[in-house]
This record gives sequence, structure tokens and C-alpha cells, in this order.
Amino acid sequence: MAFNSSPYLILLIVAVAVYWLLPVGARRIFVFLASLAFYASWGIVFVWLPLFVAVIVYACGKQMQAEPGSGKRWAWLGITCLLALLAIFKYRGFLWGNLAMLTGWPEASSRFLAASFAFPMGISFYTFEAIGYLIDVRQGRVKMPPFLDLCLFFFFWPNILSGPMVRARELVPQLGFHKAFEARFIFEGADRVIWGLVQKTVIANVLGVWVDRGFAPGLHSRPSTLDGWFLAIAFGLQIYFDFAGYTNMAIGTARLLGVTLPENFRQPYHAATPPEFWARWHMTLSRWIRDYLFFPINAKWQGAPLPLYLSLMGVMGLVGLWHGAGWTFILWGLMHGTYLVLYRMYEAWRNLRPGVAETRAIAAVWRVGTLGAVLAAWVVFRATDLSQAGRVLSVMFYRFAVGSNYPALFYAYTVVIAVVCAVEPVVLKRLGEIEERAEAEGLSPFRVMARPIAYLFGLLLFLLFDVNNAQFIYSQF
Amino acid sequence: MLDTEAIRKAAQEAAAQIAGRPIKADQKLVSSGLIDSLSVLRLISLLEKKLTISIPPETLQPEDFDDVDTMVETIERVAKPLP
Repeated sequence: MAFNSSPYLILLIVAVAVYWLLPVGARRIFVFLASLAFYASWGIVFVWLPLFVAVIVYACGKQMQAEPGSGKRWAWLGITCLLALLAIFKYRGFLWGNLAMLTGWPEASSRFLAASFAFPMGISFYTFEAIGYLIDVRQGRVKMPPFLDLCLFFFFWPNILSGPMVRARELVPQLGFHKAFEARFIFEGADRVIWGLVQKTVIANVLGVWVDRGFAPGLHSRPSTLDGWFLAIAFGLQIYFDFAGYTNMAIGTARLLGVTLPENFRQPYHAATPPEFWARWHMTLSRWIRDYLFFPINAKWQGAPLPLYLSLMGVMGLVGLWHGAGWTFILWGLMHGTYLVLYRMYEAWRNLRPGVAETRAIAAVWRVGTLGAVLAAWVVFRATDLSQAGRVLSVMFYRFAVGSNYPALFYAYTVVIAVVCAVEPVVLKRLGEIEERAEAEGLSPFRVMARPIAYLFGLLLFLLFDVNNAQFIYSQF
Repeated sequence: MLDTEAIRKAAQEAAAQIAGRPIKADQKLVSSGLIDSLSVLRLISLLEKKLTISIPPETLQPEDFDDVDTMVETIERVAKPLP
């Protein structure tokens, strides 16, 4: 059952009402059963998988606590089992296909293998959470909770499908559901759920119709330069509003239960440098990569340049692979790795010349360059294959061609949404100020009516635009 | 044995030096995005010099240096004095 569907919204209202009416002691079981039912709605055959992940983490974690001397061995055993699960369920077709290509085995076997069973929703997210959990136990940051709490940590329905990727120490302490009801949980949650719905249906899905046309499988014609750039911008906006919309709905759903999940976005297209982009885009994945891969590797080498550059490329290649089992995703990750290496090289060069001031012009070049580079990488991410990506990138950067092959509405809508994205920080700041002032003034007719009207308007937009019934992009990862 | 106040003073000075501006004791450095993970490595190296200690960073995470109090706690937990 998708977040952006009427049945989900109706069941959400029922679930939240039941949750707050239940005594505190019964809430945990209720949320667990609701989470099981939610995950089962995506395919009952895979309900055992997050449960199996919980068993692996529980068994290895308990052993780590019981035998601290052999903790490293148990951590590696758990991590290997979790990576094997991910390889079997997500990468088997890709791995076999590449092996078949190298060895000359029939390619049909890889397609058969890939199609042999479906993709379990959310597996990339909860296996990474599980690996993080094991490392945190190994480092003595968390203790193993009761098994039911651990299952609930992996199954918690607001974030099981596509994050935000949480740490045990953020979510487990909240799984007692001890909070007393406060009206602000409902307002804060509903704000995020409805804004997320609007982002998904009114912005991402509408742009997605044109983007799908531009990147249709088997499309071999070269677009014009204008269309290439507009497709890149439109997909950059689509994926942002799609994933941010999903995240808002996930954070909002949890908030309706009084639970706080970490934020995942901070206006990423306002980043001034490539590292800043990753500090603003999919922040919980960036944090995972930083804490469990990048920092330990570079701590070992004390930030020396060559290991730093190699680790940036390696880690970003893995980030690409995490997104999808395909070379376009790996290349997308490696492109980001290259941007990060180039920025670190520039930073090292500048640090050697303390007298050289960073002028506004240089800062502007980095800001514009970062945005252009991110958009170019999105083309590779979205393309059906590498040759399609090459065709679009070529017209964007050197094989210039005139023409426009889309309705005027596509260009106009993309520009409007780009403006929305540009003014987002100002609007959010202004809304925060209005909220603060309204709180200081107490109840006023405006304050009483503003939210219900905004909610009704948002739901109306959802009902009007919800014709594509499109899945969230990140639910495929 | 290191004196907690000496660690706190060194942590505040080192954090200000890395961030390039004065730092309040409760100011979040990593989770607020003020410094990144590579700056945390430089911060660790600076703290090691200032306090003549060794901080084994392999089992640490950047947010172990998120504010001055957390830094003091981390240093007291993992640092080893240099001979």
C-alpha cells in the first residue's frame, strides 16, 4: 500500500486514532502489528525477511555482548550474512549478467535469475540499518534491546520502505511509545504528510510524465540542447520532490504517533560545493556512509591525500551501486566521487596558499558548477542505459542542436518548479516566523482556520492530480 | 591523568581553530554541518598535540566530537597519554 494512495490515508487516520486511544502498554504491539500488515501489503512472501534480519542482528549482537573478546568476529559474521542477503535479493541478476558477459555464458540465464523472484521492498534500507546497528553494538554505543523492540526497529512502518535511515540510538528509545497525547503531534504530522502528498502528486508525478517520455527505453534519437537541459533539470526536480515528498510523509506519519525521525533533506540544490550537496541530499544515507565507511577508512590513513581520493571514489561507487544494480547507477556514483575529489584537491591547493582569498567569483563558479555537475549526473542516473545517457549529455555539453520537441507547458512548468525550489528556504523561514508570531498571539480566527483550509486544499490537489498512481522512485531501491 | 578542565579548554580552542570562529560550549559542530568529517580528523590531530595524548579514531564516529562536552567525554573514554 503506497503512502500516496487514498486507502493508506484513510487507514492512517484510523491507525492514529486507535493508537492514541490505546493504553500505553498496548501501543507497542499495535504498532508492530500495523507495521507487519503494512509491509505484508507489498507482498506477504517477504515478511520473513526483515524478521530474519532482526534474528541475525539479535544473535550476533547478543554474542558480541556475551564475548567482548570475539566481538569483531561476530560483527563480521553478521555483516557478511546481511550483505549476502542483499546480494541474493537485489544484485543476483546484475552479478550473474556481468559474470555471463565475461565468461560467455548464455545471457538468458541472468534474466531468468533476475526474474526468479521479486524485489523485497526496503531491503537496501533495513539491511544498512542492521549493519549500522551491529557496528554500534561492537563500538559499545548501544545495548541489545528485547527482540520485539529490535523487530519493531526494522519493521516500523513509517520508514521501512525508503527511510529515513535511522540509527538504533535515535529510534529504539522512542519505541516504548510513552508520550502523552499532544495536539502538536497531529498538526506537525499532518503538515508533513499533506505537504509530502502535494510534492509527490502535483510536482514529481507531473514532471515524471515528460521525463519518462525523454528517457523512454529504446529511444535512440538525440534531443535538442534545450530539451537535454530541460530534461536534466526536470528530472533533478522530479527526484528531489519525489524523495522529499516521500520523506515528509514518513516523518509526518511517525510524528502523528509522537515519534521523531531524522531529517533527510536541507534544500540540496542550494549547495555551494559538492561536499555540501551530500550534506544536504539524502542526509541519513550520507551520515551512514560517513560514520561506517568514510571516517574509519580515512582515520586509519589520517586523511592522507591519496587514500582520501581513492576512498571518495570507492565509497561513491558503492553509493551508486546501493541505489540500483546497474552500471548507470555505478557511473552516477563515480561522477559524484570525481566531483568530491576535485573539490578536495582544490581545497588542498588553497590551504597551501593562505594568502589567496576565495573571491566571490570563485565561490560563484563552485556554486554554479556544483549544480551543473549534479544535473549532469542525474542524466546518467535516469537514463535507461549508458548510450542513452551519452546522447543526452553530448547535446547538453558539446553537440549543440537547436529545437524543442515538448509542449510549451513542460518548459513553463519546469521553470515554475525550479523557482519554487529556489525560493524554498525563504518561504520556509517566513512560514516559521508566521508560526512563531501566531503562537505568541495565541488563538486567533486566522490560526484556527489556516490549517484546516490548507489541509483541504492539499487533499484537493492530491485528488485532482493523483491520476498517474506512480510509485515513489526510491521505493525501487 | 588528564584534568577535565584542561581537556575542555583545549577542546574549545581546537574546535574554534578548525571552525575558524569562536565556538560556544554547547554549539553543535558536526550535526549542524559547521565542520565535516575531514575537519574532525584535523581536530583529533590538533587535540593530540595540545594534550600530548593519542586518540585511536578507528572506533570513533564524527559525532563523538559534536560539541565541547561530547569531546571531553570521548577523550576521557578513549585517549591514552603519550610517554
